[in-house]
Amino acid sequence: MIKLFERRTRIAMDRAKKKKGPFIYKSYSKKPKHRWVKKRKAAERRFRRAGFIAIAISSLFLASLVWNIVSSGRSAFTEAQISLQIEFQADLVEQGAYRKIVQNSLIALFPEVEDRKEKRALFGLVSRNAPHMLKKLIEENPALVSTKKDIWIPAASTVSVFYKQRLKEQSKRGGKITASHAAWITQLARSDRMQLKFNMAFFKNGDSREAEQAGVLASSIGSFMTILICIAMAFPLGVATAIYLEEFARKSWFTDFIEININNLAAVPSIIFGLLGLSIYLNLFGLPRSSSLVGGMVLALLILPVIVIATRNALQAVPPSIRYAAAALGATPTQVVFHHTLIYALPGIMTGVILSIARAFGETAPLLMIGMVAFVADVPKTFVDPATTLPVQVYLWASNPELGFVEKTAAAIMVLLIFMVLINLLAIYIRRRFEIKW
Amino acid sequence: MAKFEEWIKASLLACTMLSVLVTALIVLSVLSETIRFFSYIPLADFFFGTEWSPQTAIRADQAGSSGTFGAVPVFMGTFLVTLIAMAVAAPLGLYAAIYLSVYASARFRAWAKPILEILAGVPSVVYGYFAVITLAPLLRAGGDMIGLSIASESALTAGTVMGIMITPYVMSLSEDVISSVPKSLSFGSLAIGATQSETVKKVILPAALPGIVSALLLGVSRGIGETMVVVMAAGLAANLTLNPLASVTTATVQIVTLLVGDHEFDSDKTLAAFALGFSLFFMTLLLNIVALIIVKKYRERYD
Repeated sequence: MIKLFERRTRIAMDRAKKKKGPFIYKSYSKKPKHRWVKKRKAAERRFRRAGFIAIAISSLFLASLVWNIVSSGRSAFTEAQISLQIEFQADLVEQGAYRKIVQNSLIALFPEVEDRKEKRALFGLVSRNAPHMLKKLIEENPALVSTKKDIWIPAASTVSVFYKQRLKEQSKRGGKITASHAAWITQLARSDRMQLKFNMAFFKNGDSREAEQAGVLASSIGSFMTILICIAMAFPLGVATAIYLEEFARKSWFTDFIEININNLAAVPSIIFGLLGLSIYLNLFGLPRSSSLVGGMVLALLILPVIVIATRNALQAVPPSIRYAAAALGATPTQVVFHHTLIYALPGIMTGVILSIARAFGETAPLLMIGMVAFVADVPKTFVDPATTLPVQVYLWASNPELGFVEKTAAAIMVLLIFMVLINLLAIYIRRRFEIKW
Repeated sequence: MAKFEEWIKASLLACTMLSVLVTALIVLSVLSETIRFFSYIPLADFFFGTEWSPQTAIRADQAGSSGTFGAVPVFMGTFLVTLIAMAVAAPLGLYAAIYLSVYASARFRAWAKPILEILAGVPSVVYGYFAVITLAPLLRAGGDMIGLSIASESALTAGTVMGIMITPYVMSLSEDVISSVPKSLSFGSLAIGATQSETVKKVILPAALPGIVSALLLGVSRGIGETMVVVMAAGLAANLTLNPLASVTTATVQIVTLLVGDHEFDSDKTLAAFALGFSLFFMTLLLNIVALIIVKKYRERYD
């Protein structure tokens, strides 16, 4: 008996040393067990397994989410381009008939196409933006006029998707591709005139009606401008509120009221803040609709309570001895706070602020209310220009049924998630590097 | 010097008042529009009407020009989706919290916690995308296989994804509650010979019950106010049904559809969105306060 006890103790100590979690009763005797014991143990195992399965389901969901997005968004980073021999005829350039130039070179490539309808289909191979690209090229380099040059021109998004999927041997999922389109694509691919290239347009452009030209630059810039406004408003306001509540206010019914108020505000649905923005900022103050200024101000209200709570926690973590020591050396109350307490609480405050910024960065619903769903093709230059943000861009593309936009949506989500990860890593870094343990 | 001190204090107080003002602004702005809405549409029609079709015709003399604003189907849809979400989130979140705080080894925790935190940090629009692109076709195919017809914008799709989204939230709240139950209680139970699961069910959970109930209520309030998942995955037509396979609409979806795009601000349609918004605000506020009261009143103190 004593030997058995010793053995169990040793096992328990071993487990504790290896940090394997709490010691769980296990019988090591070889005696047959009573059926009640068996029943209870089975219940124990079931319960334990249920807990594990709950975590497994959550992890599995995350894994399938990430896998799904990466597998369908990966292809958006490349696009099919067609090498066309463009002849910049002087008279056509003069007229600005760049569309004609593109069409001529396509006909030169496929001289056998005669039928009008077929010709129109042929012109649909390249991006509708191609004439615009050529125009820009000429503007940058006027010497090109009356010369011939091989230029890689992005294919139309349906063609691009079809070409990529052929590469993956899934030709039947090509979307709206006619038989003649398919034949031309095969011919182009054989002669190496169609190739997959890195999709620079995705990072250089704003939104576009043409999937192959749509990019995330405008919405990313819009996101950053919105966040900038948001920080500029929420950070000082939130930190000041927290300092007042934590360091200066005497406890009374009033501070209790404020505390309950702020805690409740943190749980108000985000869309309500959008309604607030719509009726106060837009209709009462008359601020410009769909601008990053209003977006940032709405998001600021959204994360204000979060910042207040985080800052209060960080201030609470600073031991009172610091305050006493400072006060004993003759510091005034504000000096105690601003020269000592706040400095020590700063890493904690920054972590909280950055995490709340991550939340604001991914927020969509309130921005829909203030009209940030507008179609924005240009990068916003000032804070009052119409802007959109990355999550809203994701929403807009996700509601577009065109095949080219499906992969763009997933790719935009990838960009969004990468930004989120970066923000969170920054928060973790600050916590690890600067946080003081008392 | 003393003046400077006073000045700083006053400005801090001003910031605090400004923060508090936000709540007042919400209430005032949304409430005033809501009152205006109810001056056009009777209160009873809104809260007890079963017909929701806010589409106002272009010309005033056209048939059905006023639109009907019976919000029962909308609230029913919200309720249904939230119910499904909680049916997913409550067991998942609770079991995960119990496993993490009672059974898991330190190494397992170090892996599992970040995963759940990432799940909590993923923007809701991503969940919406997942619901539309992946889960909806999957559920429909599964339904076809067993002979059920599932609408592509079913309450089930939106509810399930929303549930997964709320899970980490419920989990972290209830984990805090569970780990705040004093160790001496569970040690006592284990010492009399109860197994770990018996200890959890008969000692820890009853002690943590108020906290867990409030965690679930907070989860419900999150579900009611969640917007992007339902905007993308749930329907637009207001069907009065409790069938999880049918398409339903929710209050948040209606707010978004009524307010996105350019409208004049005075129409019944836009004001209806504010009325829905105010009901939403009121419901979540009520849930939060109830959750707070439950914790305050029923929490046992072990000092």
